[in-house]
Amino acid sequence: MTSQSQRLIFWGLVWFSILILSLPTIIVVGASFTAGNIISFPPEGLSFKWYEKIALARDLRQAFSRSLVVSLICLAVSLPVGTLAGIALTRYRLRFTSALQIYLLLPFTIPLIGSGIGMMLVFGNMGVLGSMWPVGIACAVINLPFIIWSVSSSAAALDRDLELAAANCGAGRIETFLHVTLPSVMPGVITGGLLMFVLAMTEFLVSLLLTDSRTVTLPVQIYNNVRSIITPDLAAVSSVFVVIALAAVWILDRLVGLEIFLKSK
Amino acid sequence: MTPEKDDQGFRYPLVWRIMDILEAILDLLWPQRMAKLTGWVLIAPALLLVGILVVGLVEIAGNSFHTLDKSTFRLSQEYTLDNYRTIFQSATYGGVILRSVLASVFTVFFSLLLAFPFSYILVRTHSSMVRKSLLVVLFLPFFIGQVVRAYGLLIILGTNGVANQAIGMVGVEPIRLLFNFPSVVFGEVQYMLPFAVLMLAPALTAIPQETETAASSLGANWFRSLTHITLPMAKPGIVGAGLVVGTLTLTDFAIPAMLGGGSQDFIANAIYDQFFRTSDQGLGAALALLLVALGSVCVGIVVAVFGAGTLGMGGKK
Repeated sequence: MTSQSQRLIFWGLVWFSILILSLPTIIVVGASFTAGNIISFPPEGLSFKWYEKIALARDLRQAFSRSLVVSLICLAVSLPVGTLAGIALTRYRLRFTSALQIYLLLPFTIPLIGSGIGMMLVFGNMGVLGSMWPVGIACAVINLPFIIWSVSSSAAALDRDLELAAANCGAGRIETFLHVTLPSVMPGVITGGLLMFVLAMTEFLVSLLLTDSRTVTLPVQIYNNVRSIITPDLAAVSSVFVVIALAAVWILDRLVGLEIFLKSK
Repeated sequence: MTPEKDDQGFRYPLVWRIMDILEAILDLLWPQRMAKLTGWVLIAPALLLVGILVVGLVEIAGNSFHTLDKSTFRLSQEYTLDNYRTIFQSATYGGVILRSVLASVFTVFFSLLLAFPFSYILVRTHSSMVRKSLLVVLFLPFFIGQVVRAYGLLIILGTNGVANQAIGMVGVEPIRLLFNFPSVVFGEVQYMLPFAVLMLAPALTAIPQETETAASSLGANWFRSLTHITLPMAKPGIVGAGLVVGTLTLTDFAIPAMLGGGSQDFIANAIYDQFFRTSDQGLGAALALLLVALGSVCVGIVVAVFGAGTLGMGGKK
């Protein structure tokens, strides 16, 4: 950048963006350590009492474990399905590829409220609403393009000749898949799995539609509590999500490097 | 291949035996000559999973043609377009749709205004420290989730919140910052900013810095080079980011619900209310189908402009 005025205007806007992106997180984490009974600024003293309180609160603990179960189900479903689909899209010559791509992008193109209500009707007709696994499957469906995308970008980098070489050396099809294809797409599988897990953990709208008062997940629980009264215990719960997000960003950076998202296609 | 011991006492490893058995089973179930279909078998589970969505949409479409029978509180049997007529004639829904569209337009404008300098510096900076920090600032909210972020904004904008405390210091009375249209738009901009930057940055990466250097060496000031070189070249990225942000805002639920406090409903909130408060599934379904149609038009434009490989799935490189 050359000009002083451009630098001033651009950095001014960037600092504003940084402020509005980070301030809510910082405030939430800060508020969770307050010693007072309401959220106020500056906080009245420092304490961990709200963390003690949420650790003892049964509804929050149960909601947290339900979120964990949902995320694990989502992972168990989406990992094999997304990996195979990603490999199929890149390694096999399929007809109607562009139609397939548009179809597989449907989870992104259909508004979440539409997908959520549609799945609510489908699972409702099957009479399975109220258990946890439909929520896990729903989370897998709405985020499926993420894992397909990350696996296919790994698979596209694999030299096709390696598979032929393995076969030439006497490896059968399963051996080739397990020892050549799968290890080479592994970075994409791990990245995709990470995205699926964290997004299922924080998924709100679809969980709201598919759960009832006995099966709420943690984000829905937060939403319900916010509507009644804002107390610092929610800030403590939210801090749990901040920690998860920090871990996810760190792992993602170690795995593929955040800079990969700047590459032009 | 039959496992056999050779003269030196070599034992055929167990893993090999298992692998041989597996290969034999595979050959039996899925002989080589069916290799042409293998790709379809691998992709079939994904097609089935997305199929749930398609079935769901068909259900919604089916429900939208039945009105609520007020005597039994179930959907009536006969097919009718009454639900759609209700939506188009009702001033309430007109207002809700107008509000959603208006909020989307504002959100697109402000998100792009903030996302462009952010992406520009992200791409052009020479310091990897700056780049990494900006990326972390961007990705952290993305993984924190919408509800927690809206909760953070609630704390900040509340009557006793940080914002009011800050203006209180200069002697201004606390004002109501929440539960109005601007606060919802602000929440949406905060929520959409990472999406906008992630759509814009790759487009800016594709513009060689030399073009800008050339412009300035020919005497253009930075503003001219921005409006004549950078912006026109980044146009596909800007259009893409705008459409994605617009569609996501148009169909959002959580931000208007939490920051609007019930007074700033978007289409998604109206749909939710029809299903869970009024229990008029038919009307809710009709609204949902309209929203899906509206969203599809936007996405259709994206696909038409950028091609189906926008997300790089199965990338034809």
